[in-house]
Amino acid sequence: MSTDDESFHPLGREWEGELEEMLDDTEYDSDLGMKMAQDAMRVTKGELSEAEFHEMYHDDVMEEFGVDDRPTEAAYEQAQEAQKGTATRMLEAFEGDGEQSRRETMKKMGAGAAAVGLGAWATVDDGPETNLAAADGDDGGSNEGTQLGMVIDLERCDGCLSCVAACQEENQTDQGVNWMYVLDYREPGQDEPGASRNRLVRPCQHCTDAPCEKVCPTTARHTRDKDGLVLTDYDVCIGCRYCQVACPYGVNYFQWDEPDVSTDEIEEMHSDMDGDHMVDDRDRWVDSRAPRGVMSKCTMCPTRQDGHMGDEYRGTTACEEACPPEAINFGDMNDPDSKPQRYLRNVVQTRAERMVDGESPNRENVQESYDFLEGDIELLDMEYLEDGDHDEIEAALFIQGELDADDLSLDDEELREIVIDILGGADALEDLDEEELGTLADILLGDADEGDADADDREAANDAIDAVITNAEDGVQNVVDRYESREITPAEVEESLLILDGEEEPWVSEDGITDESTAQQVLEAYAGGEASTFKLLEEVGTNPNVTYVGNEPGPEAEQVDGPVAYSDIGQTDNRKDVLDESTVGDFGVSL
Amino acid sequence: MSTKSPTEADILRPVNNVSKKFFMLFGASALALGIFLVAWMYQLANGMAVTGLSDWGSGGGVTWGLYIGAFIWWVGIAHGGIILSAAVRLLGMDRYMPVARLAELLTIAGLSAAGFYILVHMGRPDRMVTSVLGHYHITVNNSPLVWDVTVITAYFVLTATYLALTLRYDITRLRDQLPDHFEPVYKVMTLGYTKDEDEVVERMVWWLALAIIIMAPLLLHGGVIPWLFAVLPGMPAWFSAVQGPQFLTIALTSAISGVIIVAYAFRRAYDWDHIMTDDVFRGLLLWLGFFCLLFLWLQLQQNVVGLFAAPVDTFVAQEATLSHWAYLLSMGLVFGTLAYIFAQTIRPSLFTKARAIGAALLVLTATLLEKLLFVVEGFMHPTFEIYANTPGEYFPSVIEWLSLLGTIGMVVLVFLVVSKVVPVVELHAVEHLRGDHGHGHDDADDAATESEVKA
Repeated sequence: MSTDDESFHPLGREWEGELEEMLDDTEYDSDLGMKMAQDAMRVTKGELSEAEFHEMYHDDVMEEFGVDDRPTEAAYEQAQEAQKGTATRMLEAFEGDGEQSRRETMKKMGAGAAAVGLGAWATVDDGPETNLAAADGDDGGSNEGTQLGMVIDLERCDGCLSCVAACQEENQTDQGVNWMYVLDYREPGQDEPGASRNRLVRPCQHCTDAPCEKVCPTTARHTRDKDGLVLTDYDVCIGCRYCQVACPYGVNYFQWDEPDVSTDEIEEMHSDMDGDHMVDDRDRWVDSRAPRGVMSKCTMCPTRQDGHMGDEYRGTTACEEACPPEAINFGDMNDPDSKPQRYLRNVVQTRAERMVDGESPNRENVQESYDFLEGDIELLDMEYLEDGDHDEIEAALFIQGELDADDLSLDDEELREIVIDILGGADALEDLDEEELGTLADILLGDADEGDADADDREAANDAIDAVITNAEDGVQNVVDRYESREITPAEVEESLLILDGEEEPWVSEDGITDESTAQQVLEAYAGGEASTFKLLEEVGTNPNVTYVGNEPGPEAEQVDGPVAYSDIGQTDNRKDVLDESTVGDFGVSL
Repeated sequence: MSTKSPTEADILRPVNNVSKKFFMLFGASALALGIFLVAWMYQLANGMAVTGLSDWGSGGGVTWGLYIGAFIWWVGIAHGGIILSAAVRLLGMDRYMPVARLAELLTIAGLSAAGFYILVHMGRPDRMVTSVLGHYHITVNNSPLVWDVTVITAYFVLTATYLALTLRYDITRLRDQLPDHFEPVYKVMTLGYTKDEDEVVERMVWWLALAIIIMAPLLLHGGVIPWLFAVLPGMPAWFSAVQGPQFLTIALTSAISGVIIVAYAFRRAYDWDHIMTDDVFRGLLLWLGFFCLLFLWLQLQQNVVGLFAAPVDTFVAQEATLSHWAYLLSMGLVFGTLAYIFAQTIRPSLFTKARAIGAALLVLTATLLEKLLFVVEGFMHPTFEIYANTPGEYFPSVIEWLSLLGTIGMVVLVFLVVSKVVPVVELHAVEHLRGDHGHGHDDADDAATESEVKA
């Protein structure tokens, strides 16, 4: 499975043939994205510092995107103080629609505040009421009030397990307690695993008619009035495990022994925020890993929803925040304007919006290329160059006499190094050693006598310098050519999005995308067609609040190895491996 | 059959005599219970991780195992015991009157063992009262586990009442021959006794028996216990309307087996050949055969429906069950017992008490295996069997096996202690045996009629 597939056309093979030719011409490095995602994970695991991560990819990022919008190191330190502490924000800078989520957060804060007030009124020692409401159960899913849930785009998930690691870090769960679980699967008769996108992301479904809650003999498992989260009151649970028996999804994890991280440590970790990441707004212990002898499962982060980590974390979960391709969309499933509902309403558009964010050449880049061709802008002033490096162009222009020494931004030493680099890359000069290249560079820069080098070499050197400029100019021309040939570049995608959004004439030129039906086609080619949606085991009648976009696993689907193993991210897949160590008399056999 | 006439002295023998063998058995039982108590303390100190259990799903195991399997097994034995006793009273099956009280005691002891298992199974047994009782008014509306606790408690109370009422009659009449050091116990138990109450008590006991006979299939082992599993749509190995009747047959086979073993032990220890006659054992064995047949019949239903053209998840679960050695062994044991019982009906010379005991032990082994596998198979083959770690692995740890030893020890202790305080055979039974001697044929007719009624 090639990573290029995942970034550019998630519908995979069907599209691949058609699009491959077009996409071959683009230069956007999706490998880089994957590498960064993996290293971001290393950051979350503490194997890599944020500063190192920042530094490691700075050059690549500059080269790829022409700009590095990631928070600076100083900003990181601030972020660390704010206890965010993961590398996810760095990725957000590229992939997140920051503007929108901020707006949404503001909106949520209003609604959230109201819910808190109402919730507090309705939940004074409210176990009974909550449960009676659930016991009614025959309204087929409540459409009133807030019901938090998720829309998970399985076609965007790349199986990196960032969400699994982020959940573990957020909740300090033991090895093998995979509240969030991601699995690849194979359908019977499918020879090659991964031939099509068979992947499932499995958090708790926070069902409206939760069977776990129904069977609980204590009301420890309950639905929170204010936002519909299904939670476990660790102070009430007796550890009978009937919830785990009744849940058809297998999302529950019992705390069989003393947890690895103590409550004191958890409290210490969150000393600078409002709560302790354990007790929610109602003073019930429902968050972070369970204490010994009681049941736990995915909580969808009540600490965040209650604003204990700050208002910017409301309406987010750790897994959602950590997901590099933004496959997880968390929010109020009853609100048509919520993140998940908006995603669901227009999967292709939203997916394209996110895929294109930060990618080049975008509309501005194309406009700039037109401007250059029309002589309105100098090569050196261009933000985006498909083929060519700013410093090399500066050096070449200087040698060609197009640039005054006063206008140089490079010092002499840098200039010489860059010229040597240019010459070293020329085929005709590949036999020369470093010193000879140096001499040629000095000649070009007027610092040595022409006689110091062979005439052929001098000619080749001049050609190499000219080539820098020609290539850059060709690159600019190429951007325009590709745009006018309607190859699907980010610019076309942006135009299509804007056209479908109702904006008038968003195109750079008439040769771009100008009508709605083409726009729709472009988006589908870029982000995959309208995919089917499903809820997991809906026939069981649980009314789950997680909606998936993508393929539904069949009844005979069987898990296979994914692209990233749980051990790769320092986690355990099969918890029994851990628990067997404490078993008294592990006979090594099974019934 | 018996040559002697049963006397009060016969049924008082256990109360007034202690032997070396009694102390040895008492010591062994106490030791068995003690060892498990130590093991349980270890579990409480270190957490449930000392068991062979894990989470089902990605966790690669089963979350309920031997503790729950054995819990159902004991509840089955207990429920069957009281049904047997109630049938004796309600349907006038006087032939089994000598073992009725033993069956009632088996109910009390079995329910105690089952209740103990609930505590042993829980992660936080210390919260039993605050968490369960504190929210009872809510949870009783929807949690099958709370229904279970409710009905089991109700049954414990019914059985204890039943036992206490019938004991008043015996204790009052036999008081002079009972040991004085238990005087306070007898005083409490016969508080306010007058002869006039005998008739009233008889009616009360009849109504209690009626309640038990009606509630057993509807609510108890044909109801709330199987519903723990049968109502869960995510587990095809359990999700079936046949579980109610199936559980009931398993309970009855287990209970009759239990009564056979207990009755035989008392007969042997106290020379009660003339009270618990061979005739009683032959009759019990026949009933055992009858319920074994029902047991196998309902298993057949599950296999045919689950394998012919079932939904994928049901098929997978049923196929796994049918091909499991424990299942085949369990069915084989029941089938073998059934074959023997039918054979000895045709040819009475095949009957010996040792073989009857053997049949009872084999059936108890089979039902325990079946229950254990039943619980485990649910987690092994859920509808959502997509996980690579499902089916998981499970084998009971040493501590879990010890629980079985411990609860058997506990049940034996209950019999040993109670038999030293009150007569374990009713005075009524002795009176009846003296009055109605040698009505074997009538009894056989009775039994046939009862089976028709039941069917």
